[in-house]
Amino acid sequence: MTQSSAGPVRYRVRHQTDYRYSSNVAVCQNQLRMQPISRGSLTCHWSDLEITPPPTSWEQHTDYFGNQVHTFSIEQAHRSLLVCVESEVSVAPCSVSETVSSAAWELITSANSKPQPLLDEYRFASPRIPTASHFADYARISLLPGRGIVDAVFDLTRRIRDEFKYDATATNVDTTTDQALKLKAGVCQDFAHVQIACLRSMGLAARYVSGYLRTVPPEGGERLVGADESHAWLEVFVGSAIGWLGFDPTNGCLAGTDHIPICLGRDYDDVSPMRGVVLGGGKNTLKVSVDVEEVTQSSSPKEQSPTGR
Amino acid sequence: MLQTSLQSSDAASESVWGAVRRDVGTFDERLNDGGFVRNHWRYLNDQFEAFGAETLREHAASIEQTVRENGITVHAESPDGQIDRPWQLSGVPYLIHADEWHGIETGLMRRTRLLEAVLHDLLGAQNLIREGVIPGELIWANPRFHRSYTDLDAERQKLHVTATDLVRDAKGQWRITGDRTRAPSGLGYLLENRIVTSRVLAQTIRGCNTKRLANFFAALREHLKSLAETQRENPRIAILTPPSGSYREFEDTYLARYLGVTLIQGSDLAVRGGRLYLKTLGGLEPIQVLWRHVSDRQCDPLELESSSTEGVTGLLRCVRNRGVEVVNSVGSVLAETPGLMPYLDAANRFFFGDDLTLQSVKSYWCGDPQHLSHVIANLSSLVIGSAMAVDSERAIDGSLLTATEQEQLVSRLRTTPGQFVAHERLHFASTPVWSEGQILSRKAVLRNFQLLTGDEVRVLPGALCRVGQDELELLRSPVSGRMTQDCWVTGDQPVDQHASLLADHETKITLRRGGDELPSRVAEHLFWLGRYAERAECIARVLRITLQRVSGEDNWESFEEVRRLIYALASMGQIEPGFAVSSFVENLPHLERSLPASLLDREQPRGLLRTMKSMLHNANAVRDRLSVDAYRIIQRAYQELVQPALSGRATGTLSAGEAIERAGTLIVDLLAFSGVTHEGFVRTHAWQFLELGRRIERATQTCDWLKTILCPPTEEPGPTCEALLEITDSLMTYRSRYLSLVQLAPVVDLVVTDEINPRSVRFQLERIASLMDQLPGIDGGAGLGAIQRIVVSLRYHVTVADPHELCRPGDEGALEQLADLVDLVVQELPKLSEAISARYLIHTTTQRLTGTGR
Repeated sequence: MTQSSAGPVRYRVRHQTDYRYSSNVAVCQNQLRMQPISRGSLTCHWSDLEITPPPTSWEQHTDYFGNQVHTFSIEQAHRSLLVCVESEVSVAPCSVSETVSSAAWELITSANSKPQPLLDEYRFASPRIPTASHFADYARISLLPGRGIVDAVFDLTRRIRDEFKYDATATNVDTTTDQALKLKAGVCQDFAHVQIACLRSMGLAARYVSGYLRTVPPEGGERLVGADESHAWLEVFVGSAIGWLGFDPTNGCLAGTDHIPICLGRDYDDVSPMRGVVLGGGKNTLKVSVDVEEVTQSSSPKEQSPTGR
Repeated sequence: MLQTSLQSSDAASESVWGAVRRDVGTFDERLNDGGFVRNHWRYLNDQFEAFGAETLREHAASIEQTVRENGITVHAESPDGQIDRPWQLSGVPYLIHADEWHGIETGLMRRTRLLEAVLHDLLGAQNLIREGVIPGELIWANPRFHRSYTDLDAERQKLHVTATDLVRDAKGQWRITGDRTRAPSGLGYLLENRIVTSRVLAQTIRGCNTKRLANFFAALREHLKSLAETQRENPRIAILTPPSGSYREFEDTYLARYLGVTLIQGSDLAVRGGRLYLKTLGGLEPIQVLWRHVSDRQCDPLELESSSTEGVTGLLRCVRNRGVEVVNSVGSVLAETPGLMPYLDAANRFFFGDDLTLQSVKSYWCGDPQHLSHVIANLSSLVIGSAMAVDSERAIDGSLLTATEQEQLVSRLRTTPGQFVAHERLHFASTPVWSEGQILSRKAVLRNFQLLTGDEVRVLPGALCRVGQDELELLRSPVSGRMTQDCWVTGDQPVDQHASLLADHETKITLRRGGDELPSRVAEHLFWLGRYAERAECIARVLRITLQRVSGEDNWESFEEVRRLIYALASMGQIEPGFAVSSFVENLPHLERSLPASLLDREQPRGLLRTMKSMLHNANAVRDRLSVDAYRIIQRAYQELVQPALSGRATGTLSAGEAIERAGTLIVDLLAFSGVTHEGFVRTHAWQFLELGRRIERATQTCDWLKTILCPPTEEPGPTCEALLEITDSLMTYRSRYLSLVQLAPVVDLVVTDEINPRSVRFQLERIASLMDQLPGIDGGAGLGAIQRIVVSLRYHVTVADPHELCRPGDEGALEQLADLVDLVVQELPKLSEAISARYLIHTTTQRLTGTGR
């Protein structure tokens, strides 16, 4: 796939999370990682967060990976919780294509004289992503000696797309990366975990990206899997000339203007969009809906949210 | 190991030091290389010689007794699972002279200052990694480094109370073998060691000019207090301890009481509006300072370990808001990462431009290829362990490995080198201990404690000293594992005798009448403590009276009241139910033998022994709420009950006489407990729940007795009435009122309807009603709540009952009206107990984690 347009693409993104409980929740405490911030290829024009019922208290802070985090609690009885994040963002196109010539991957497998946090840090195993020889073995088929890093990693990305089956019933949110490699099946989270494990097992720095994919395919383009849902892919440090480059093993492509990155981390656990602890509540049902819509003109948010912008 | 005696054989037979052997090639704390007693040991050496073996034996016995009476226990692994066993304290102290101490103290201060700086850096800019001082892998790949630790308040002091493990090597050099920066254990035991030791060696400890510990603890309390952001004059400071039954239980309870702070568990806490609160009967009470003794990742299920029940949801949020100060700060575990040890010298030069004065044991991080090859080449002289987490119990002594094991280890080292750290195996110094009835030589390690207050580091002038047979045993056993010693820092000058924790003249405390601060969990334990104490007393009374009759009469089987007492015992679950049915009795062991045995029966769930165990369990759980005396009475009551049967009885069972004696002793002990709670307990909710439990239990037991002893038809009520009066402790009152004329109606009046007899059913109900009035906000709203309905209705029925009517026999000769009344009470009381639990004691809702899936 090639990047169709040369300029940035502007999107309106609406992400709604809807919990319903069979009995009253006395208190809930939640943490959200859903709001975009301007960094890398993304510019955030505005973003609104609306929580119903309104939180009793809330704060926001920036986490270790630079993500925007909202923490809130609802301290009166409630039977439903609705979290809606609506934002307008622009994504700049990818500066390079997969055919760009790049340094041999071996040259990028270790830190320079001065190791950097949030760069060299991503070479190591993380809670959800181990490093091991079986991941390295899988990676070596693509990471041939002397091969340019972009070319080699892109090949690995394609192989995962081709050899793994996209099957939401094969795995769940707690499936380990080892299991996903064995099954050769799963969803975007599993594919990203597997590819990151392969790259880190070879000494490369790779990080997990959560975000969205555009809904309507560009004219003539094929329909992308993962539309209307949160999506996940990875970024790889391909040397100081290019820096971090996004690869999407679910779709076998580079992350370009179709990919809207929201959060960065070592693996899913660092970026899970919403986690919470409830007191009471009985059984719950969860409905998540994501709308990604390309917009041509800038617009403004509909109303003032409790958290402002 | 080669051993040699340095004493002449003649002297050895007389001297208390005669059995001490000196290991060649280790440093001996008491004797110098020439075999002479070191200067700072001389006073103690001579003192012990003057005491003689007999006195030392008495000291040991006295220590053992104090340990037992104070219930100083440690959790230990045994083949039967986790058990509590008594703490072991040697009667011989470990001595360090003040001059030498000065060097240790300075070294520990620098070390602590360094660890604080390292932690700030690792949770902040990570310059140590950027500049190559510390390998990034140790931190970045460390599963203990939860990234949430970094977005808590960066500027705040991170370490407050830390510990350092210290040993002296064969050359006499002090070496640090490890740091504890999370929630170091041992401080409570150390304090208890000093208190117990100084009781036995009161003169000696002063004679040695031993530095006092009280100042350190006073400073600790002041420091904790100073951390409060709000309510600074009198903040609420709490120790967060893991759920009941953890290895911290004794220590945390002890520290909480000594420092005068609140002891809490995660389930006692709630976060509301981004602030931390204690859930109490009266509502939420804010907590300003939390000294947490749970691990970092257990602190908050929302942001850290989601399955944790030890912490509280939202704690990190409170920390970010500065709503609470957590000690040590969440994330402090990172500073004790064993893999950092080889790099601490460099880190000290990086921050302070000078060298640490107290050396670490020589260590190697296997993630460094050069270190790895050194480790592989020198396995047999090294101890290998985890580089990421303190886990000394699994440390591997390279010299003990077979060739195959060595190979396996090398292969593991090569696969994941970064996971391992190795350090030089040291020969620990040896020191005299009292063990096996004599003074012997044992290897020793110290755990020192530091308190950081701003830029100041205060080192506790002493240590928890652990002693053992060899180095590996000491390395592997947790801090509380083996025998310990009190460590004295001795000097040539008398020490300042100042400092007590009670004196606090700096601020005026606002006077209060507290009570609402009682956590629901604590209320529950107190309620059951009251119930079990009363139940045990009731059982002991019936057993005693029955035993007296059974052992005193030749043909007691013909006495109706004895049969009814036995029926009562069977109905209370003390003996086989078969004893209550006359046709079965022949098939059962003779009652004279089985009844004494029932005192110590472990099988009967409602038996006396199990009841006492339950009482002790509840007392342990709320130990910080009981006075020292109250707790000691409970301990003593239990110990006296379970002590071995008198010698000469091969079967190990009790004679009837012994059983009567033991039941009597138990009754006296339990009355003492009742007295001490009555006189020593402020009338707060804590007392109310204890009392409520006691009253509900007594009413239940008394009604049971009325049903089993008084109600059945009888031709001659005199003896059964007397038996009932005796077990309800009302015989004396009866006699003073009616002399020796025993009739049913006055007996029923005294035991049921008499509002001034503290043993009557009515008295219990009046007390319950008045206690319920004092508890916070019952049910609310109009009309009576469930609890009040039960209380009011029971009180009404018992109050209006006419004793003469109650005594009118029915057609079959049984006292049917009395039976109806006591049945009503016996049915309703469990409902009352449940209603109280539901309203006050149980946290009905459960926490669950939610996520969005993917």
